[in-house]
Amino acid sequence: MFLDVPALELKGLTKRYDDGLLALEDFDLRIPAGSFFGLLGPNGAGKTTLISAVCNLLRVTAGEIRVFGEPHDSMTARRWVGLAEQDINLDRFLTVRETLVYHGGYFGMRRAEACERADEMIAAFALEAKSDTRAPKLSGGQRRRLLLARALMHRPRLVILDEPTAGVDFELRTELWEYIRRLHAAGTTILLTTHYLEEAEELCEEIALIRDGHLIARDSADGLRTHFGVERLQDVYVKAMAS
Amino acid sequence: MRGLVWLCRRETLRVSKLWTQTVLAPVVASILFILVFGLSLGGRIKQVGGLDYEVFIVPGLITMAMVQAAYANNASTIFQARFDRYVNDVLSAPMPSWQMTLGYTVGGVFRALAIGVSLLLLALLLVDVPVERPLALLAAVSLGLVLFASLGLVVGVYAESWDFTTFINNIVILPLVFMGGVFYSVDVLPSPWEELSHVNPVFYLVNAVRFGFLGQSDVSIWLSLGVTAALAAPAYLWAQHLFGTGKRLKA
Repeated sequence: MFLDVPALELKGLTKRYDDGLLALEDFDLRIPAGSFFGLLGPNGAGKTTLISAVCNLLRVTAGEIRVFGEPHDSMTARRWVGLAEQDINLDRFLTVRETLVYHGGYFGMRRAEACERADEMIAAFALEAKSDTRAPKLSGGQRRRLLLARALMHRPRLVILDEPTAGVDFELRTELWEYIRRLHAAGTTILLTTHYLEEAEELCEEIALIRDGHLIARDSADGLRTHFGVERLQDVYVKAMAS
Repeated sequence: MRGLVWLCRRETLRVSKLWTQTVLAPVVASILFILVFGLSLGGRIKQVGGLDYEVFIVPGLITMAMVQAAYANNASTIFQARFDRYVNDVLSAPMPSWQMTLGYTVGGVFRALAIGVSLLLLALLLVDVPVERPLALLAAVSLGLVLFASLGLVVGVYAESWDFTTFINNIVILPLVFMGGVFYSVDVLPSPWEELSHVNPVFYLVNAVRFGFLGQSDVSIWLSLGVTAALAAPAYLWAQHLFGTGKRLKA
C-alpha cells in the first residue's frame, strides 16, 4: 500500500531567507517510495535548503511537503525521516552510545529498545571500541559513521543523506556506500545529495539536477545522458548548469 | 511524552557530568559570601528585623545562586546546541514544541535546585536558618526558577556569542539581584532608593523566598508571588513562542 504513496512530495515549495535570498522557488518534486534518489547541484543550488525544509529545520515560505502522504511537520512524518547532515553536528557532552540512545529516545523509542538498537548500530558501524568516547574525541571518519548511525537509529523509512561522504577517505567512502546499498536493498527510500558525480551514478536510480532553486532535469543517469546528448554524467552536469 | 523524558534526561545528565562547574563552583562562591559577609562582618552589623545578619542573608544568597544558575545553564545549553547545531536532533524529532521548551527548562531548574539544596544543607552547618513557610518557599522558588530558566532560554536563542549570555548576566541579572535586597532590608535605604527598589522585580522574588525561610519580608508575600508570576508567565511564553515558531532556531 505504501508503495503507491510517494516517499516525498513537494508542491510549490518556496523558501526566501530573511536576507532576501530566494533559495527555492515553486519547487515540485515527487520521490517514489523505495527509490534511491540523488540530488545534484552546485553550492547554493538549494539542496540543503530542500533537505532542511523536509526535516523541519527551517521555516518554509510557501508550499506543501508530504512524507509518505503525511504533512512533514506531523509527528508521524517526523518519525519516518532520518537525516545525516553535511556538517558534523554531534552533541559534545554525550558518548557514542549515549548519542544513539538519546536520539532514539527523542524519536519515541523505549529505553530497552533504544539500548538494543544503539548496540546494533555501534556494531554495524564498527564503533565498539569508541562506544564510551565522547564525540569531540572521535576521528573524522568515526564522527561521520556516528552521524550516519544516528540517522538510522530510529529505523526511518526515508533516509536523507546530505553529502555523507564529503571529506572522507576512499576506504570509508566505499564502506559507507556498501552500508547505504544494503539499507536501500532492505526497502528504505534514500535521498542523497552529493558533489561526487560518480557517487550519484554508482548509487542512485534517479538523479535530479537542481540550480538556483529550480529543478533543471530529472532522470536516470542513462536517461540524462541521452537527454543531453552526451556520453558522461560530468558533461550532463556541465551542460545542465550552463543552460 | 518519551521525547520529553529523554530531553529532560539529557539536560540533567549534562549538569551531572559537569557537576564541578555547574554545581560545586556556585555553591563554593555562595558559601564564601556567607562566610565573608555573614560570619566576618555579621558581628559588626546589628540585627535585621530581629534576625542575626548571617541568618538574614542566607535566603537571598540562595536565591541569587539559584536564579543565576537557572539562567546561565539554559542560556549556555541552548546556545551550545545552536552553535554546534546538534539542536537539530531535537528540532527534527517527533516532539511538540511545548515539550522542547519544557525539556530545556527542566535542565536549568534541576541545576538550580541542586545548588539550592546543597547551599541550604551547608548553610545549616554554619548558621541556624529555619524554613518557616515551606509552601510559600516552594511557590517562590518554582516561580523564580521558571522565570530565570525561561530567560536563559530566550537569551540563549537570541545570543550571537558566548559573551552576550555573560553580558546579560553581568549587566542585568547580577545588578538586579544585588539591588534586590539580598544583603539588606530595603527599609534601611533612604528615599528614593527604597522606592526604587520596589521597581526591581528581583526584589519581590528575594522577599518571597525570604518569607518562605524566615516568615518575614519587606512586602506582602502575595504581592511578591504575584509580581514574580506576572514575570515568569510571559518569560516562559516567550521561550515557548521561539520553539513554537522556530524563530532564531530555524533559518
